[in-house]
Amino acid sequence: MRCEQVKALLNDYLEGALSPAVVPSLEAHLSVCDSCRGEWQFRRGIWHSLSQMPAPPAPADLHARIMTHVRAQARTRAVSQRGLVWRFVGAAAAAAALFLLGFFSARPGGVMAGFQLFSSASKSEPAVQLPVESGIRLEWRDVGEGERVPVLRAALNREASAMLAWSPEPSLPPRQAQRIWQGTLQPGKAVEIPLPLLHQKQTARSVITLWWTVDDQHRAFFVPAGYPPSARASLRLRANLSEVLALLAETYQTPIEWLPTSHETNPLVVLDVRDATLQESLQQLLIGTRYTARAEKGHWRILPR
Amino acid sequence: MNSFELSDEWLIERFKEGDDTAFDQLVRRYEQKVFQHAYRLTHNIDDAADVAAEAFLRMYTALKRFRGEAQLSTWLYRIVQNVYFDFHKREQRHQHLPLEISSDDDEEPMELPIPDESFDMDEYLLEQERQRVLREAIDKLPDYQRVVTILFHVEQLSYEEIAAATGLPLGTIKSRLNRARAALRELLEPYRELFEIESRPTQTEATDALRTGQSTAE
Repeated sequence: MRCEQVKALLNDYLEGALSPAVVPSLEAHLSVCDSCRGEWQFRRGIWHSLSQMPAPPAPADLHARIMTHVRAQARTRAVSQRGLVWRFVGAAAAAAALFLLGFFSARPGGVMAGFQLFSSASKSEPAVQLPVESGIRLEWRDVGEGERVPVLRAALNREASAMLAWSPEPSLPPRQAQRIWQGTLQPGKAVEIPLPLLHQKQTARSVITLWWTVDDQHRAFFVPAGYPPSARASLRLRANLSEVLALLAETYQTPIEWLPTSHETNPLVVLDVRDATLQESLQQLLIGTRYTARAEKGHWRILPR
Repeated sequence: MNSFELSDEWLIERFKEGDDTAFDQLVRRYEQKVFQHAYRLTHNIDDAADVAAEAFLRMYTALKRFRGEAQLSTWLYRIVQNVYFDFHKREQRHQHLPLEISSDDDEEPMELPIPDESFDMDEYLLEQERQRVLREAIDKLPDYQRVVTILFHVEQLSYEEIAAATGLPLGTIKSRLNRARAALRELLEPYRELFEIESRPTQTEATDALRTGQSTAE
């Protein structure tokens, strides 16, 4: 075999695509011809380095970048109108009424029947009309003898229909939750709802949620049941955003308020965190969604970007 | 959460039925691969992420029409290339590519994975240098040659898979690949000593990566 022939066949040889009939004579040539062997080694070195070409790990926010891009662009192309969730919260809401539910009195110890609702009027709320300001928070009030009772305090600057619901499991969809109270929140009037139920260790997984609606804008306030707060947790789940937020509130023992957008009321999300703080979990959870998390006094607020 | 793998086909069906989480799962499954392929074409992390995002958007809009003639991964390679070509065309109107191989790097040098055992610092540094000059040589190839080179030599696809991923006939792929190899060889001629090494420590393992099977018969 001549050098030109060999060099013309080298790529096929390196590929392993050379006819077996030709291989012996080519290899015989390589063993005696320095120039051709050098050429073979050179090309083999290039091929080898090509096969080893590194690529960096993707940036940590790659998934978020992709999903944000896809969601933003796809929305402009396809107008997908999803049904609004929580219609039941809205117009049909009757006048303020109090439901004392069976589960209260059925609690071991039987001391939980003291649930009641009272309004403390004439709190000086700023007379702002827009945007909606919600002052919903969970306070732990001393009731003497070292006992503390959680009180949910809700104050809005606008009239809103609202519903308070109790769920034995945070992952339960809202329609399966038990309704505790349903009524109207008046502007400038703070509603205080003592939640002694939250004191019960037995109900450590339960979550109380205040759903409220103003101008067709729905919000949810997830109130965890147990106490004291846990700093870190590992979670791995896929569920609707509202359920995940309720679970996070329960896990971290921190109230979470949620302001869903009108476009994408309750998207399915995936959460997979290990030994993470609430802030880290929320960041992970909200990647690629239209939401962002903001720390408020004593609770977290999830609102559209 | 189930740990078993759902098939692409199943996820695509779920997506067609309106389950957006299926799409999310497909993205998670392929985003690294797509990003790395995009990176090998662009050699820039930011550009590669942009290419990946646009590629998945195109997948999103076209997936409803995807009939499964090709593997999803192969189809994605094809989308990545189209996006890359589109982006690249747009860029080329504004800037000229450097003509010389420059030795100063703007970007952080890429760290090669360090093998656990029998680590050879000299070899490691040599390979770093090889990768640097190789990268710059590849950047100088025309786009159509670069794509087939990367698909064959780096991503290790077969000719048939490349045909599916590029929509090109086999003959065209082979001729482009051979032109690309010849061009690379010329570009790397000044660095011949770097590549031409009598016995590489990794030679035996390299045979697999090289896909030769026969070249070790010395």
